[in-house]
Amino acid sequence: MRSKRIELVCPAGTPATLRAAVQAGADAVYCGFRDETNARNFPGLNFSTEEMAEGVRFAHAHGSKVLVAINTFGRVGSVDLWRKAADAAVGCGADAIIAADIAVLDHVARNHKQIRLHLSVQAAAATPESIGFYAETFGVRRVVLPRVLTIHEVATLNRAIHVETEAFVFGGLCVMTEGRCYLSSYATGKSPNLHGVCSPPEMVSYEEDIDGTVARLSGFTIDQYSPGAPVGYPTLCKGRFKAGDKTSYLFEDPVSLNAGSMIAGLSAAGVTALKIEGRQRGKGYVTEVVRTFRRAVDAVEQGSDTIEIDRILAGQSEGGRQTTGAYRKSWR
Amino acid sequence: MSLYATEGGLPPIARRIFPIVAGLPLGPMLTLSLRSLARRRPVMFERLGEHRSVRYFIDPVDLAFAFTIVPDGMRSVVRVVRKEEAAESSVVVRGPLLMLLGLLDGTLDGDALFFNRVISVSGSTEAVLALRNTIEDAELLPADLLGLSGSLASAMNAGILGGLETLRRLTRPEQSREEA
Repeated sequence: MRSKRIELVCPAGTPATLRAAVQAGADAVYCGFRDETNARNFPGLNFSTEEMAEGVRFAHAHGSKVLVAINTFGRVGSVDLWRKAADAAVGCGADAIIAADIAVLDHVARNHKQIRLHLSVQAAAATPESIGFYAETFGVRRVVLPRVLTIHEVATLNRAIHVETEAFVFGGLCVMTEGRCYLSSYATGKSPNLHGVCSPPEMVSYEEDIDGTVARLSGFTIDQYSPGAPVGYPTLCKGRFKAGDKTSYLFEDPVSLNAGSMIAGLSAAGVTALKIEGRQRGKGYVTEVVRTFRRAVDAVEQGSDTIEIDRILAGQSEGGRQTTGAYRKSWR
Repeated sequence: MSLYATEGGLPPIARRIFPIVAGLPLGPMLTLSLRSLARRRPVMFERLGEHRSVRYFIDPVDLAFAFTIVPDGMRSVVRVVRKEEAAESSVVVRGPLLMLLGLLDGTLDGDALFFNRVISVSGSTEAVLALRNTIEDAELLPADLLGLSGSLASAMNAGILGGLETLRRLTRPEQSREEA
């Protein structure tokens, strides 16, 4: 269901990045508090309550919205942290809360009826039945779609539901069911969906030996780079491992999603909002990606040719490689 | 991790000037500057969390000396040290001076410099990430570090940033300059 202009939803890990995203043309910015309640809980990242309130004021003054991600899952005995984060987001004047845990959704639905609820991708809701449940039970107004659907499936889904949908168009991909990463949990003892961090930096190390650089996570070798070769941040899903006698990216190639060429298609499929991934990325990345997508979305809305988005953003993609992911699924 | 930097090194004339600069009491001057910044912008240091008491070893590879920095707000300390003292710090960051200064003022992207080996980092990844995110959000300008404001600050920012950009342009490989 979509009748208005398509909305561009952009990431911000710090107040400076929020301002950069807004100034680059974001219709909405998503961000989180500086604790375990959001899925990008890295040191030095995220917002205090005061910074969030100031960020909301800045965004509103420039005609943009702020969506607060409280999208990890509460743990037994510690759900209060998530409830307080939701209360704080409302107090800051946020335009929506993005949540996945039914305890958080329930708390917001019962106590803060005035704020919009968006269902986080962490909930991995991809059927009319599951989306209908969240909409009817908690009044969810928008669903962030898991990155497993073809564009045809997105269109079919949109015809069968009565809430807005938001689709990822750029950034990192997760080979697991949206953050339910047992690999990371096994190796580090910390879960992306419970502690908000995949490959926690305190367990990451880079070591130099005669063959180059070895990147390790919690003692496990994730990759090895020859001297002088570009290095990467070690995540288990994008590591190079030996299986049998073949060394390869066993789980997932280090490529980034770029569905910039599919904006018109996603719009026709009924998608309300396009989402850019990357709250852990810097101002330079956010500014360039948001500005490029702003131009592309505007071009599509005006019926003109899309810009050369793949070429422009190649430098911002992981490993310099891009994919349209499941939207153009060719393996089924 | 070692350094494979091929660009961003200081030009010969600047290398000749730096021994003179090194004769100045750089450590106490930078300590005062950082504490003055903490007085004016205390929230900036809160972003470091527990990592504000970490000792960071900053090694500009084109200078004969290095720095240690403990960015602990009003208790911050900067020291000029010998390159051999890296082992006593939790984090070591190495790179050409102009690249390191580019990180400080936000001209350059730290991730890109690290992943492409222009700078190297060893030690606590958590502390490095906290510092990177703090600097990223701080949007520091030269005048902030010098404690200046008003039109003098604007002139100083324009002069220093313009000078640094010129130096970076001069130190780029010839082919890159032509493409630019």
